[in-house]
Amino acid sequence: MKTASLAALLASLVLAAAPLRAQDRPATPAPVASTVEQDSAAVTLTAQEPAAAEHAAPEGEHEAGPVDIITPHITNGDHMEIPYWKFPFFKEIELPHWKPIVIGGLSFDMSPSKHVVFLLLGSTILFLMMVLAARSLRRAAVKGEAPKGGANAIEAMILYIRNEVILPNVGHHGEGFVPYLLTAFFFILTLNLIGLVPYGSTATGNISVTATLAIMTFITVEVAGVRAQGWGYLNTLFYWNNDLPIVLRPVLFLIMSPVEMIGKLTKPFALAIRLFANMTAGHIVVLALMGLIFSFAGPLSAAPLFMSVLIMVLELFVAFLQAFIFTLLSSVFIGQIRESHH
Amino acid sequence: MTMRSPIAALALLLSTAAPALAAEAGAKPSLLDPHLGLMTWTIVVFVLLAVGLYYFAWGPILEAVNGREQALRDAMAAAEKDRNDAARLLAEQRAAIEAARNEAQRYIAEGRATAESMRGEMLEQTRLQQAELLERARKEIESEKVKAIDELRREAVDLALAGAGKLIGQKLDGAADRKLVEQYLATLGNK
Repeated sequence: MKTASLAALLASLVLAAAPLRAQDRPATPAPVASTVEQDSAAVTLTAQEPAAAEHAAPEGEHEAGPVDIITPHITNGDHMEIPYWKFPFFKEIELPHWKPIVIGGLSFDMSPSKHVVFLLLGSTILFLMMVLAARSLRRAAVKGEAPKGGANAIEAMILYIRNEVILPNVGHHGEGFVPYLLTAFFFILTLNLIGLVPYGSTATGNISVTATLAIMTFITVEVAGVRAQGWGYLNTLFYWNNDLPIVLRPVLFLIMSPVEMIGKLTKPFALAIRLFANMTAGHIVVLALMGLIFSFAGPLSAAPLFMSVLIMVLELFVAFLQAFIFTLLSSVFIGQIRESHH
Repeated sequence: MTMRSPIAALALLLSTAAPALAAEAGAKPSLLDPHLGLMTWTIVVFVLLAVGLYYFAWGPILEAVNGREQALRDAMAAAEKDRNDAARLLAEQRAAIEAARNEAQRYIAEGRATAESMRGEMLEQTRLQQAELLERARKEIESEKVKAIDELRREAVDLALAGAGKLIGQKLDGAADRKLVEQYLATLGNK
């Protein structure tokens, strides 16, 4: 049983590596070609041409020299790889380009890029899973018997997040925050996990996505603060301590108020960076180890393979952990601002 | 438009926090560039997902769970009640058995006491009867004896009178004679 799943993991890793090997085909246009030139990028990996050429020979001519295969993998792009039945078992498709929408000097490029596709895919999968689980649970509830199967696992997760993470942290009458935080947890979790699947890409490894999530948490926190404290919310923005001598109050007001405001912004900033960096870093490590397979190009290449398997398992854990952390910290921030007037 | 100041602040923080990274990553595929289109996509997808899940997943799931928890609580309360009832009934039964046993014990003791007292009574009665019988027999014997002695005495008087009459040749038959002899015999009897 365990060896079978390990073999499956290995097979998926090999499959995942296949697109990387043939990344530098001449047919591949803009993004890769541009990175070929700037070989001084922070995260570059030199894919050894001889090793890659042996397998990818039918694909055509290859340029010699180091190629950055990591950056295209972890960044957003207008290309994506889909499974294909013929060697090398992937096909690169170009995603449509739409004209950017310009609103008030800001240009919104709404083209469905790779991460947009995975956002939509992940959300669809998540939505279907949850709806199916809900139906199964409701059916079990109507019949008056215990629910079974995957619905049980999903229910256990939902209940754990709700009862152990959200409700104790957001404070009394925090039920209104449960839907947002639950959605955030499962949204992040699904996107994290989809990034680990072969052909997948991690939308939560994109700063735009994590920043948006962090901003949504920020808005939720501030709205919760205004609703819980009313005018007292201003105390979280401005520092005015009545225990101080009257002379010191304006002085400290001027010094401390910016600190308070920056403190407010640091929390979502940290949320965004934490999630983004964790997801990106894990993928970089896995890819770098896989790149070592081709660098070694011998019996020794088995060692990085096992290491990357281990890192992959760690990534599986990190996927859950980061979703959990994001939810936990959001709950804590909401709870803090709701409690702070006491 | 409340979104804009946080975005701007975040962008500012990003640029101040990671100038080195931004410079190194270059202009084209920067890891840290916020992309407005993708951010909009994220908001749209997330909000749609949140609304969809709110109506089709969290609501029903939590409802089902609450229903089941309620059912569980009810079942547990019922079980608790049943157990208490059973314990109460058991205690009652025990008490009843104990009472019955006590009663039986009491009856036995009572019966034994009754029997004891009855035996004593009967014994006493028997003894009394026996004593009475003895007494009566003794009295009868006594009276028979007295009667026999009287008879004997009368016979003796007659014989004595007859003998004495013969001796003195006259008939001693008067009441005075008899009285005389009897007086004499009485003195004898007293000896």
